[in-house]
Amino acid sequence: MPPLIVVEQLSKWYGSRLAVDRVSLEVERGEVMGLLGPNGSGKTTILRILTGYLHPTEGTVRLADLDVVTRSLEARARVGYVPEDVPLYEWMRVREFLRFMARLRGLGGGAAGRAVEAAIERLGLGSVRDLLIAKLSRGYRQRVAIAQALLGDPAVLVLDEPTNGLDPRQIIEMRGHIRALAGAHTVLVTSHILSEMERVADRVAVLLAGRLLGVHRLRADGVDERLQLRVRGPVEAVRARLQEIPGVSAVAVESEAAPGVGRYVLETGGGASADRVAASLVTAGFGLLEMTAAPVDLEALFLGLTGPAPEAPR
Amino acid sequence: MSHLGPLLLKEERAVFSSPIAYATVAVYLLLMGYTFTAVLFLNRTGDLVRVFFQAAVLFLLIVPVVTMRLFAEERRAGTLELLLTAPVREMDIVVAKFLAGLTLPTLMLALTASYAAVLGVYGDPDWGPIYSGFLGLFLLAAGLTAIGLLASSLAPNQIVAAVAAMGAGILLWMIDTLGYLLPDPFDRIVSHASLVAHFTPFATGAMFLSDVGFFVTLVLVGVFLSTRALARR
Repeated sequence: MPPLIVVEQLSKWYGSRLAVDRVSLEVERGEVMGLLGPNGSGKTTILRILTGYLHPTEGTVRLADLDVVTRSLEARARVGYVPEDVPLYEWMRVREFLRFMARLRGLGGGAAGRAVEAAIERLGLGSVRDLLIAKLSRGYRQRVAIAQALLGDPAVLVLDEPTNGLDPRQIIEMRGHIRALAGAHTVLVTSHILSEMERVADRVAVLLAGRLLGVHRLRADGVDERLQLRVRGPVEAVRARLQEIPGVSAVAVESEAAPGVGRYVLETGGGASADRVAASLVTAGFGLLEMTAAPVDLEALFLGLTGPAPEAPR
Repeated sequence: MSHLGPLLLKEERAVFSSPIAYATVAVYLLLMGYTFTAVLFLNRTGDLVRVFFQAAVLFLLIVPVVTMRLFAEERRAGTLELLLTAPVREMDIVVAKFLAGLTLPTLMLALTASYAAVLGVYGDPDWGPIYSGFLGLFLLAAGLTAIGLLASSLAPNQIVAAVAAMGAGILLWMIDTLGYLLPDPFDRIVSHASLVAHFTPFATGAMFLSDVGFFVTLVLVGVFLSTRALARR
């Protein structure tokens, strides 16, 4: 299946400042693609061009084979967008706002009402549906913004820094919402926080000063989990045992933690879960000393791509 | 499908959810009531010519205050990004804002009609100039709304939008006096751009299609340039 979003040689100048420099990128259907980079790296500009808010200086962006400049209305109809600062009409009530946005997305009376009710239900906005938006907390505002982006069931959801300004509980909820949207929608999400990207994105595109440094896969197809183990026993025998477990797709021996104790990283999927791995090792007589979920080391990747930090002045 | 209906409804709600609307209508009615009473008791004539000119001058000052927030407020709040990324034509957004901007001046005019009713009850006015005067005021308000809309689409904030629209309106109002100083044919060109030159015939009971055409052109140019300003991004 062809990619849903194709960005080719995209550049954007703001006056004499180059904000995006010849970025090319493809986003597959149903995946969560993260744009990662420090503030001012061009993430928001790319999203704004994709959503039709800005026009590119050079290059093209195609969404479902529609050029976002020449067939802007059709392309915009396929995108739900949550801008960074969550702009909403403060003087509207939640339901009134969602209804207005549904009408703008071309939904008629009955369909608009049903879409609004579904979005209210999905984002848990029932208790605030008749409140003025100005009275809502940041977390609820964020949810209202996502609810409006879902109206009309767009193929692509674009979320710009969706966890900004949220407290830890709200951040966890937001992550849940984003992961729940994947699959049915293609999600583009930006963040400058590495740990957030690790948790929500399937792939990340790392940007610096408007340039795309690389695209890295965080979740491989069919991989549910990465596990890090410390196991007592001969390395080769342990590795062979691990590889026999159905669903374990890769086993890497990282190092010997201590004499007779190996450190392993597994990628599991297709039904292989942590308890199965543990049971298999223990019944084979190996000593399972530690088992933890192993995150992709995005920090190392980011530092590697963006180069060494500048030396502090003496 | 046109989105004019929901956009217009939203813009009207925005106009009337702001205290600016009520304050401007109140100030307008206070000043107009004073003018009507003073003119009626001093002149004792059954016409509204002076009232129309007073309303026109107030419109020069009030309409920019009404129109200043149309785009500038959306830009400040960031909601312009929501509007412009929705599958909606820029022209629909601009037309909805223009019509909503014209609502308050139209409401003010409707309330001003009570003065004509008073004349009708207690006297026997010549209705022709009264009808044409109201039409002239409506067209003037539409022209000023278009200027204010354009200023709001270009200005970085509401105050700049109001000041720029007020400046442009007042300049166009009195530009014919500057025209006399210019050599031919510039004097005629400048005089033709004058708001007062096109408004005076309406206020005094003479209607010309060319004057209607002038105000309609002003509206179309304002709406077109606002749409262009919005598309430039």
